[in-house]
Amino acid sequence: MRHLTEEQLIEYGYGEGNKAFIEEHFAACRECEKAYGAVQSDLAEMKFADPPQREQPYGHNVWGRLRQQLPDYEVRRRNWLSGQWFRGLSYALAAALVLASAFAGGRLWERRQAEIAATSHVAPLPPVVKHPPQRVVVVVLSDHLDRSERLLVELKHVDADSTEMVSPLRDEARSLLDANRICRQNAKQDDDPALTGALDHLDRLLAELANEPGGLNKATITRLQDEMNKDGLLFEVRVLRSRIPHAQGAGVESSKGGTI
Amino acid sequence: MLRMDKNDHAAIQAVLSGNKNAYGALVVRHSQSLFRVAFRITGNEADADDVVQEAFLRGYLKLETFESRANFGTWIYRIAVRCALDKISSINRMNDRMRVGTETDPEQDEIQVADETAGPDRLLLSGEIAAMQRDAMFSLTPTEQAAFVLRHMEGRTTEEIGDALGIAPNAAKQAVFRAVQKLRRRLSSLKVRT
Repeated sequence: MRHLTEEQLIEYGYGEGNKAFIEEHFAACRECEKAYGAVQSDLAEMKFADPPQREQPYGHNVWGRLRQQLPDYEVRRRNWLSGQWFRGLSYALAAALVLASAFAGGRLWERRQAEIAATSHVAPLPPVVKHPPQRVVVVVLSDHLDRSERLLVELKHVDADSTEMVSPLRDEARSLLDANRICRQNAKQDDDPALTGALDHLDRLLAELANEPGGLNKATITRLQDEMNKDGLLFEVRVLRSRIPHAQGAGVESSKGGTI
Repeated sequence: MLRMDKNDHAAIQAVLSGNKNAYGALVVRHSQSLFRVAFRITGNEADADDVVQEAFLRGYLKLETFESRANFGTWIYRIAVRCALDKISSINRMNDRMRVGTETDPEQDEIQVADETAGPDRLLLSGEIAAMQRDAMFSLTPTEQAAFVLRHMEGRTTEEIGDALGIAPNAAKQAVFRAVQKLRRRLSSLKVRT
């Protein structure tokens, strides 16, 4: 049989533990019962002096000493509340400040990014915006004057007897005729009398070259050569052509920009 | 008791409403019981008075946390036990620092008395035995000492002891057991078995 522990006996001595089990054990075990007798005796001997009696006004004396130490409760509570409120408000303000800063920083960054992006995207566009539609005509005019100059040079030096040489002149004159009319119309709108006058002379010459009834014969070629020399048309075209290069440069750039 | 609880709660409400003097009624009503347990744990009147004062002060400052369904007497008693525990802990620490390394020889402390009969010698020496028991009490740890007082002198249950000391019931039971075990061994040296 397993004996009860000292802990079980002490617990039983104070009226706790499994009483039924312990009493049943005592009935069967004299040794444990004797051991419990010793515990009971020791507990009974543990008698300590009773606390000294305090006089009736003891409580009042305690209160008298204590009262002076106690803060006013409502004031203290208000202070406590205000402290809590202040602390809470501080945290809320700090959090709001952080959020506002983050928001403002984000907005600034976003705006800056947008500006950078806009600048980088817009950069190639200004030439398109800056160039008015007539720049397209400038490009055509420049080209047209080039081709016209070559045609006039060929006409000046052409052999009137050779039909093989004359025929390409007529074809070229036909192809230049439409372009010349457009250029002349545009020059007229731009109120450029020098250009308009030169293109008028060129128009008559091209029209005769292209549409001479009976074809270009020696007499017609000679007559046109004489008119060209007399009017100084080749010189006039060259002068106009020399005026073009600056504009032509811009025009070439604009054409590269996609205007044409 | 019920009337007293109602009075306690009314006084507490009055204090929380700003009437500081209402706390005086609570102090007057519960001072005696607090002094009793404080004296049993600390072992002297001056310390017990300090504990009572400290307990009521702590109680006042924590009054807002007091639950209206609880019993103020039990609540302030628990505070007083912890104050007393703090007191004897600080006293023990101070004594440890002041100790110069000399250990008392237990043999010299022995007072040999017969334990079978309540003869005249035993009666004469009973006062001295009581003093020795007090010394034996102070050989316990503060927790063991407080647990033993609550169990042996105040008749508190294991759960109540654990609640008052802020420990688990099983730990409270172990503290009581260790205290009794130590005291029994200490007291056995005072006896001459015949």
